[in-house]
Amino acid sequence: MLRLPPFNNSTIPPHPRRQIAGAGLALIVTLGLVGALLAILAAGGVGTAPHGGAILALVGLTTLQAGLSTLVSIAVGMALAWALNRLRFFGRGVVIALLSAAIVTPGIVVAFGLISVWGRAGFIADALTALTGTRPDFSIFGLGGIIFAHTILDGAFAARVLLARLDALPPARLKLGQSLGLRAVERFLVLDWPALRGALPGLAAVIFLLAFTSFPIVLMLGGGPANQTIEVAIYAAVRLDFDLGRAVLLALVQIGFCALIVSVSALLRPASLPTAPSQPSRWRDSRPARLGAVLVLLGLGFALLSPLVAVLVEGIPALPVLLTRPTLAPALLASLAIASLSSLLAVALGLIAALARASATRPLVRLLLGAPLLGYLAVPAMVLALGAFLLVRNAGLDPERAAPFVLILANALLVLPFALATLGPPLDMLAQSRGRLLRSLRLSGTVQFFAVELPLIRADLALVLALGFCFSLGDLGIIALFGTDQFATLPLMMMRALGAYRSADAAALAALMLLISGTVFTVLPRLIAKVPDARA
Amino acid sequence: MLKRMFLLVAASCLGLAAPAAAEDKPVLDVYTYDGFAAEWGPGPLLRAGFEKTCACTVKFTTAEDAISTLRKVQLEGPATRADVVLGLDTATAPEARATGLFVPHAVPVNGLVMAWDDPDFVPFDYGYFAFVYDTTKLPNPPKSFEDLIAMPDSFRIVIEDPRSSTPGLGLVNWIAAAYGDRAAEIWTGLKPHIVSMPRGWSEAYGLFLKGEADMVLSYTTSPAYHAVAENNPNYAYAEFTEGFFPQIEVAGILASTDQLDLARAFLTYLMSPEAQAIIPTTNWMYPVRDIGPALPAAFGSPPTKIIALDDEADFAAKAKARVDAALAAVQ
Repeated sequence: MLRLPPFNNSTIPPHPRRQIAGAGLALIVTLGLVGALLAILAAGGVGTAPHGGAILALVGLTTLQAGLSTLVSIAVGMALAWALNRLRFFGRGVVIALLSAAIVTPGIVVAFGLISVWGRAGFIADALTALTGTRPDFSIFGLGGIIFAHTILDGAFAARVLLARLDALPPARLKLGQSLGLRAVERFLVLDWPALRGALPGLAAVIFLLAFTSFPIVLMLGGGPANQTIEVAIYAAVRLDFDLGRAVLLALVQIGFCALIVSVSALLRPASLPTAPSQPSRWRDSRPARLGAVLVLLGLGFALLSPLVAVLVEGIPALPVLLTRPTLAPALLASLAIASLSSLLAVALGLIAALARASATRPLVRLLLGAPLLGYLAVPAMVLALGAFLLVRNAGLDPERAAPFVLILANALLVLPFALATLGPPLDMLAQSRGRLLRSLRLSGTVQFFAVELPLIRADLALVLALGFCFSLGDLGIIALFGTDQFATLPLMMMRALGAYRSADAAALAALMLLISGTVFTVLPRLIAKVPDARA
Repeated sequence: MLKRMFLLVAASCLGLAAPAAAEDKPVLDVYTYDGFAAEWGPGPLLRAGFEKTCACTVKFTTAEDAISTLRKVQLEGPATRADVVLGLDTATAPEARATGLFVPHAVPVNGLVMAWDDPDFVPFDYGYFAFVYDTTKLPNPPKSFEDLIAMPDSFRIVIEDPRSSTPGLGLVNWIAAAYGDRAAEIWTGLKPHIVSMPRGWSEAYGLFLKGEADMVLSYTTSPAYHAVAENNPNYAYAEFTEGFFPQIEVAGILASTDQLDLARAFLTYLMSPEAQAIIPTTNWMYPVRDIGPALPAAFGSPPTKIIALDDEADFAAKAKARVDAALAAVQ
């Protein structure tokens, strides 16, 4: 697969404190997960072993689905990133912001958006009926529908992360490439691919985990029990059978399997490449290449964004009524407060993790520093909710009062893998390409961070901050068991509306969350770009 | 827990052991499902109604759905703060009874529309699982499961996953109660019509409203929502000749309660004409008491052909096997 340059230990400035902080973080997250599983076992005792063959079949099905979702998402993400990097057009910023907003949109909203466009009574079917006179017979339900929905969520995220890598190519290299007259394919192979491939293993791991643990989308778009996931078996073990031991066993199967995948991806070391503060430069392509980029952008842009646009179109007319609901303001405020705090926490934790990993050289150390942080994504939602509830209760706290704090922490941990996948590659590349220089300068960790690293990753930090904010805004969270009628967030309010026949309110809330996310992704990076540069 | 014990010990050492916050009103802790206590549910009105009479404070603590409230109580065990669990149904009550966490309610139950002799739980509303459709799009709905199976493959239904949803489990029970040993055959016949089996009622009903299915598994009372709240008379439920399978929602008192009298009073209030008049247009289920004109005409009269079970406890105990068999049949 990837041919990696040999690592030279002496080229990376050693920062023992960074590694200790990173190790502490990884340890705490690991202990938290182990504690949650033990608390469940203590509450429920040893369960009945699940049927081995059935579990293998479930893992097989889920792996197939997650593998395909990952491949398609990465391919779509690369194509979109390439097209967006080459093209400049009016509304480019909005398209990028909407793409970023995709991953933070609740899965159920994306699924409904997808159905508005591709469903039996959707936009495409209506348009084809009007054109041809007969109703077309295609179905969005099935494996294809699941992968489509996952690609909207994860492919758009991949595009956003990969675009950041392409935009960070040093202008000098581009100038050189242009003067050498590189053709489109050559430019991709010589300049783009080395920049992209460093981000791919981390990105693929995160996307695989998201798809592997996806639950409502799989059930809703799967079209019946033929498409299943191991998560639903865990859900049933807790909810239907109250067999907590079995739930933990199944969770361990899922975590173990995901750990295997993550380990493999973490061992692929990112390639060394110079990187620059994100300043997209122009590149003059041949006309066919430009046309290709336009076609890719139109095709994939439509496929990925039309479901989100459908969510807006259906929800915005119902917004005025929603705004009169007395419950909206408290839910909005709670959501904004939780989102602000958890995104700041996520950025801090993500920086600790990414800086620690960038200063480590041995593959095993890098794995141990990074992999546990992905653990949160591999743990079944039901098990996490149960574990958090029991831990809070065992600690003698009132679950209801603890709910907002648990939500903040849980959301920050949820964003951590994305933070690591976004902040890791540029810091790794810096450590490897400028390591010798930094080492010879004998900078302290603080000076190195503020003078060298921070200016380089400011755009990425803004992305993580926005990501963290919007993720927390749209996350249903793990407080299913903490609940009280006195506390609500926007997504909880949306699910309540949906559960009480109020589909107009639910649509308006989905649109509102999407609007906030889009705005945050547009505004936050610009604000952060305006903060005076530390070097100035 | 520890902290509370420490405080108690400290208080008794000082000779101050007294009921916590004696000057405050007593609190009745009610565990229920989220939709019941939320903005549009019956919770807020029932709380206000009961608080007027009880000189107490009602506090709802919610979980995602009714069965999750039972799981929550089971996790908390005798240390639970809950006095009353509200929202369990006839399918889950036997399991709840078996946990030994509940105490006989000892509340007189009379004057209801149904005969009731359950010593542990009292009913507060009920409904029947049914397939709901849009009369303007489907003038001739199927009249039985066999009718439905005989429809062309393009006729689509959306049902909920029985492992994660109450109506989903209800359909498994309905078919088992109606067809016994032939249940698997019915499920196999339904398979080509099932367009989706989402996680819960919300997703399923949303898919139906978006036009992805001709019928959705819901309740006989769903059309009343559209008629009353949206002034849209176009929805109806399909009359199935096999008869309907009831879901009776019940409430019970925890053995560990410290507010036994309040809990009993609350259960009595739940069945009172005043509370029963609140429930239909907030929880969209039938009242358990004849409330006369307080019940909107759109509710119609409940279906008359009901499938009765010989042995409810035995039927409930075999739910897991039925779910597995149904899933295997549509696999």
